[in-house]
Amino acid sequence: MSGITKSFPGVRALDGVDLDVQAGEVHCLLGQNGAGKSTLIKVLAGAHQPDDGRITWRGEDVALKSPIAAMRLGIATIYQELDLVEGLSVAENVFLGHEPTAAGFVVRGRGARRSASALLRRLGHPEIDPGRRVGGLSAAQQQIVSMARALSHDVRLIVMDEPSAALDPDETDNLFRIVADLTAAGVAVVYISHRLEEIRRIGDRVTVLKDGRAVAGGLPAKDTPTRDIVAMMTGRNVEYVFPDRPASPPDTAPVLRVEGLSREGEFAPVDLELRPGEILGLAGLVGSGRSEILETVYGARKPTTGRVIVDGRTLKPGSVRSAVRAGLGLAPEERKAQGLLMLESVTRNVSVSSLSRFSRGGWLDRGAERRDARRATRELSLRPDNPDARIRTLSGGNQQKAVLARWLLRGCRVLLLDEPTRGVDVGARAELYAVIRRLADDGLAVLLVSSEVPEVLGLADRVLVLREGRVVHTAPAGELDEHRVLDLVMEGSPSS
Amino acid sequence: MTQPASEAPQAPPPPAVTPPAAKAARPALGLRADVRNLSLLGVLAVLVAVGGITKPETFLDTSNLQLVLTQASVIGVVTVGMTFVITSGGIDLSVGAIVALASVWATTLATQEYGFAGILFTAVVVGVGCGLVNGLLIAYGGMVPFIATLAMLASARGLALQITDGKTQIVTVQPVLDLGVPDSYLLGVPPLVLVFAVVTVLGWLLLNRTTFGRRTVAVGGNAEAARLAGIDVRRQRLYLYLLSGLCCGIAAFLLIVLSGSGQNTNGNLYELDAIAAAIIGGTLLSGGRGTIVGSVLGVLVFTTITNIFALNNLESAVQQIAKGAIIVAAVLVQRSTLRNGET
Amino acid sequence: MPEIPATSRRGLLFGTAAVSAGALLTACTSNEPKSAGTATGNAPAADDKPGKPVTIGFAGPQADHGWLAAINANAKQRAGKYSDVTLEITEGSNDTAAQIGQIQTLINKKVDVLVILPADGKALTQVGLQAMKAGIPVVNLDRIFASPQAYRCWIGGDNYGMGLNAGRFIGEQLKDKPNAKVIELAGMDNLELTKQRTQGFDDALKNYPNIRKVARQAAEFTVESGQAKMAQLLQAQKQFDALWNHDDDQGVGALRAIQQAGRDDFLMVGGAGAKSAMDAIKADNGVLKATVLYPPTMAASAIDLARALGQGKGIGGMAELEIPASVTLYSAVVTKDNVDQYLPTGFS
Repeated sequence: MSGITKSFPGVRALDGVDLDVQAGEVHCLLGQNGAGKSTLIKVLAGAHQPDDGRITWRGEDVALKSPIAAMRLGIATIYQELDLVEGLSVAENVFLGHEPTAAGFVVRGRGARRSASALLRRLGHPEIDPGRRVGGLSAAQQQIVSMARALSHDVRLIVMDEPSAALDPDETDNLFRIVADLTAAGVAVVYISHRLEEIRRIGDRVTVLKDGRAVAGGLPAKDTPTRDIVAMMTGRNVEYVFPDRPASPPDTAPVLRVEGLSREGEFAPVDLELRPGEILGLAGLVGSGRSEILETVYGARKPTTGRVIVDGRTLKPGSVRSAVRAGLGLAPEERKAQGLLMLESVTRNVSVSSLSRFSRGGWLDRGAERRDARRATRELSLRPDNPDARIRTLSGGNQQKAVLARWLLRGCRVLLLDEPTRGVDVGARAELYAVIRRLADDGLAVLLVSSEVPEVLGLADRVLVLREGRVVHTAPAGELDEHRVLDLVMEGSPSS
Repeated sequence: MTQPASEAPQAPPPPAVTPPAAKAARPALGLRADVRNLSLLGVLAVLVAVGGITKPETFLDTSNLQLVLTQASVIGVVTVGMTFVITSGGIDLSVGAIVALASVWATTLATQEYGFAGILFTAVVVGVGCGLVNGLLIAYGGMVPFIATLAMLASARGLALQITDGKTQIVTVQPVLDLGVPDSYLLGVPPLVLVFAVVTVLGWLLLNRTTFGRRTVAVGGNAEAARLAGIDVRRQRLYLYLLSGLCCGIAAFLLIVLSGSGQNTNGNLYELDAIAAAIIGGTLLSGGRGTIVGSVLGVLVFTTITNIFALNNLESAVQQIAKGAIIVAAVLVQRSTLRNGET
Repeated sequence: MPEIPATSRRGLLFGTAAVSAGALLTACTSNEPKSAGTATGNAPAADDKPGKPVTIGFAGPQADHGWLAAINANAKQRAGKYSDVTLEITEGSNDTAAQIGQIQTLINKKVDVLVILPADGKALTQVGLQAMKAGIPVVNLDRIFASPQAYRCWIGGDNYGMGLNAGRFIGEQLKDKPNAKVIELAGMDNLELTKQRTQGFDDALKNYPNIRKVARQAAEFTVESGQAKMAQLLQAQKQFDALWNHDDDQGVGALRAIQQAGRDDFLMVGGAGAKSAMDAIKADNGVLKATVLYPPTMAASAIDLARALGQGKGIGGMAELEIPASVTLYSAVVTKDNVDQYLPTGFS
């Protein structure tokens, strides 16, 4: 691939990326969230069409017009979110879309099962029964099925997006064995992972992506020093402007206390305190439990142990309403799916959490609703300044402001922000940062989750670093730098 | 009243002799609601023109207007409740069966001994009770609305059959019967139509002017977002199915008045008629957007079609074909006006 | 669920109200009439003396309609009269597959005779054949099987004759009136029997050149549809002389619509023979002047035939040793003059 460029409205996701992969090698893709890895592999899988650039496959220029076209050439992709049909059996999933046929009829039962069974044996998992429903399998087993599906095609290149994220060490070892088998057979593997140690174990060469560009291509995976790789991942062309922190941390009583909060299988017991005016950042990779912690504090998930205390009052576990009543507000990670009423106007999106405030014996005081909602959106300089604008016509940054205005209107005291700048284009971020800091200065307590380390470091007063569901480090943001945080989240040990 | 309607094509829906209380509010609300309602008003206008041209002397007269509105009132009340449920992203397949059960329960010999109040009370309470069961199963039992209300459909119909044993239960309570005959009309408005109008206005207010309505729309637009915004989604759902049940109870009473009897075959396929009326009215089947005015217009379109076909003495097979065609046409017209109107 | 005290109190109040309402309501499901108005008290046609014990299997559709309910009631009542008859009655079903299963069960139980009122005559022919092959004589009730081999004896009503007699009655009433107009409120149009009733009616009217049928609408045998369609017919036809309504159940709705329209300028003839219709004919204070029978007592006769088959007898009053292969009932016209005689057979 050379000179691949792909733009989305407001974002240039890929900007002239080159990538060359040789038969029989494991080529690792590294980069922070938002660096363009996912977009790149989707181009490779035929799911996105590049705006510019060429793809050369075994010496010939090709156009990957659809996932099927890519698959026909022998390119298979195993996505992070598994794309299996839970209601079908293992064998049916493996051959989904290219069922073995005889005289035009789908061959069911034994033939397909035998082939599936052979593939699973090759993957070191003969214990998976091809007749079982996929929904009943563990995450690791599902991944194996997904891989079997890729292998059921005549495959020459396999793209694996964070394949080890859901696996325990033994299963990871097995995965590496499979990868080694594949490369020995001349298959090329593009391997995406956050874990440097894995890359060192199995990778041949590394390409580092950052802000949609390949900053380094074809580095030797075993010998390039960690420090260099981290430097390449973090060095930025675009510097965000973060607002100034207040000189001295606030000295008030904490408004939010979390004691021993945990959820089995997601995160180990967490303690934290948050004061009015303070921004506390949670840094960690995908799967480190940061969003889960936030949603559990908010009551959207029910904790296994521990409690959440606001102003000395313990919240009812697993009750969003209890949390909202106590003054918590969440700006969720998936803004469109979890936060907004996409068919509705700005006003209605802002007022939705404060309806009882505008209720006069059940009647809605629409004048007051509009007036107060507008006051809140103006305070955050939401544009356009039109309370009747449909929320879906707004930019990502202004949509996020509408969510913040919702909680401002509600008079909330603790704001939980999950990836507040996801899908917000670069120019609008600084403004959003300023808004968040201003809200904190006005006395709000903010708990911030972000996968972008500079964002956490730049915006928060204090930072908790998470790795695999555990808090591995706590420090004032001023005492940390990006390298150190990345070391912590990737290696888990405060080395270097 | 008996003029050939040559001016009909541009004519607004039913003529100016409209019973005042029942109709006055509707066109005005329709105009300010949105384009969907306008396109449906257009369909209705075309129908009125067709009726006026083919049967000028029987179509364009007061008694026919009374007839159309009366025939629309039972299914109309059901559709108002259905509109709320669909707006919230749900569906209620049990409305017809609830109407049947309520109308049958309210007309047993034992109930009839309690007279007018007994019949009205029983119809409403049975309706609300079925709605309560639906609501509990869906909101707190975690059942999919489609399945929960399908189960209610089967059991309510079964229970209705059980009660009647297949027999027609004739109502002998005179005050109930009196409500259905011309002597009881208030200024030319049949009481049934009055009830329909009141339910429509209350439904409109509830959906557009109260926090309840706003929550309904929020739950239908994005249930997860509504939950995370602090709305008690489950309780809202419970109330919505209760509301639908209440509407069914009222409709069952109207049907008792209209037909002077209770029968387990009552309310046959109401669920489909109500859903169809709501959808061509502009309520989104996926939830998040609902219009009472549109639903009522949808009901009036269907009732007017039936009326025109009957007046022209056409076979029911043709009627059904035309009804299907008009559903498709109305939705297509709606979508194109929507596209032009919004982009 | 309720989280704050105010809510739970409200909930409690509501709960109490619901429970008491429920208690009151359950008392209201009772439908025991003061007097049960079902079938005949007439003398059985066949030999009344107890003979060889006979087990009769009876399978019919779901009794979701007054006429079908009366069929079941007639069969049960008649069987109860005979000390030598045991009736095995199945749960009614409108589903062909379910009814086949029920009949096969009866065959396996080796009942002596089967009485079958199929949900769909054509679709159940095979199971009729199966029973006959197994040596169990079948009495086919009303809806006829596709093959005569599938039954030993068929007994049923005469839909064509119903229309014919209704037409004749109306014709005689209006024969001196020039330019008389009649309208027809038919039953479900997708049923064969509706077409036969209409055909009979039209054929009868051909004898009266002064009478013209000006409108026909099809209802669905339900009160609700009868009211709706009749209301439209009345709006469409401001003046007519007679109405022929296929079914007394939908006639309840039709009469209601007539009452609501305040019309009384025509005569109405019903069909099937419901008790409410006969009461109205007897009272003679409305438009309903006659109804043409489609008697549910045929079920009682079917039991008689089945018993005779089981005991190897003929029917009294006929010279033959065997019972006939087919019995078509006469669709009598019930008017004020003879209503008392038929009133006991009226169903509700």
